[in-house]
Amino acid sequence: MTTRVIDVSSFPEGTTDSRALIWWGNLGMMVIEGTMFAMVIATYLYLRTVNIDWPPSTVQPPVLFWPTLDLAVLILSAAPMLWADLAAKREEKWPIYIAFPIAVIAGLFVLFCRYRILTNLGYKWSDHAYGSVIWAIFGLHILHVIAATGECGLVFFYSAVWPMTKQKYLDTRCTAVYWYFVVITWLPFYFIVYIVPWMQRKGPPG
Amino acid sequence: MIGGLSGIVLASVPLDVQVHDTYFVVAHFHYVLIGGALFPLAGAFYYWFPKWTGRMYAETMGQVSFWLLMIGFNLTFFPMHILGLHGMPRRVYTYQQGLGWGTLNATASIGAGIIALSILTTVINFLSSARSGALAGANPWGADTLDWSVTSPPPAYNFAYPPVVSGPNALWDAAPDQPVVVGLRSDVREVLITQVLDAQPSHREEIPGHSLAPFLLAVATTIGLIGAIFFAWFFPIGLGLVAPVMICWFWPRKVDVIDELVQEQQEILRGVTV
Repeated sequence: MTTRVIDVSSFPEGTTDSRALIWWGNLGMMVIEGTMFAMVIATYLYLRTVNIDWPPSTVQPPVLFWPTLDLAVLILSAAPMLWADLAAKREEKWPIYIAFPIAVIAGLFVLFCRYRILTNLGYKWSDHAYGSVIWAIFGLHILHVIAATGECGLVFFYSAVWPMTKQKYLDTRCTAVYWYFVVITWLPFYFIVYIVPWMQRKGPPG
Repeated sequence: MIGGLSGIVLASVPLDVQVHDTYFVVAHFHYVLIGGALFPLAGAFYYWFPKWTGRMYAETMGQVSFWLLMIGFNLTFFPMHILGLHGMPRRVYTYQQGLGWGTLNATASIGAGIIALSILTTVINFLSSARSGALAGANPWGADTLDWSVTSPPPAYNFAYPPVVSGPNALWDAAPDQPVVVGLRSDVREVLITQVLDAQPSHREEIPGHSLAPFLLAVATTIGLIGAIFFAWFFPIGLGLVAPVMICWFWPRKVDVIDELVQEQQEILRGVTV
């Protein structure tokens, strides 16, 4: 007796596009992390409703130079990442070798900006509820910048020392997608931390 | 359904004010949980018992268990609706004599005993049937899902070859000579990825083999989190332990890279297009 078979040995092993399992795993992780970001924003909004003066009167409206430079570098760093991402989909390696070191340098610069910002913030997490939530926002996002920069550096390192394979191209693309996530999530935080205090100050009546 | 209806009762604010924190609430959520979770769970135990052990349970005894549970459950929890409406508070284990709650509470206690009897008969049934029940065969129910296409109990590898499904009812829609999938590698763990909507084969994908990393990661996370209860410094310490383990986990191994290269060369030779 012969059994009918579907022979899949001629199908490709692995892909570099969004059909890959790890691509969706990466997306799922960003959904979980994104929920954490949303919870921090909800915390900020909740604390704002239950506090009489927000930000507290001792907190000066923030200086915008370093934070805006930080934001600009972060947004611009997405461009080489996008270039490398699209190239990796076509399985071209040179854009990755150029874009990933640029992204690592941008990530390190962003971390330097964050260090400057935090050391000049003027209040600590233990001073008041506003300080707590702002430090929590910074802590959460800085952790993601560190992770993205580290991932970027490591993926670049092993992409450079070993021959590129489909798996490596896929790793590259996932790193790039994660990078977009880190950039995009900073936008609402920038608005909350730097724009809101300039827009309107909630103070005690009278 | 009764649990759902009494839920609507509780959602009505004037009634909820009246019966809040009374036995009415206890009656409600036990109807929800036992009707909605325990009965299906017991049903699932009976349904998959033949697949699990390879033997059939005793039918009559199973029906006895069902009716004991059905009667015991209603006897235990229905009187609680009335007790709640009479004002008996929940979370208080005793009450004074003369409030008129004695009979209904005694009824509930008898019901609880009957539930215990039902579980006892089920356990006895399962233990004796697992040893000496009639052999079940692969598909005693004539069911349509793939789990019933393998022997009972199933082999450790489940399917020697991935089965092909041709319709919503896998086994009923299968042709007498239903094809199986071959051509997946057996030297690594490889799975077939299909398209989401029409389930046509898309590509093969290797999934990771054995690794010590998940265990080490669990140890590192445990050290970090338990330490953080006592000292805040364990947050960075935990991160410092977790990060290298994770890097080791995803770090490509030389043998895998060589394997990927070999595969890609073969694909080029075969002229495969993605």
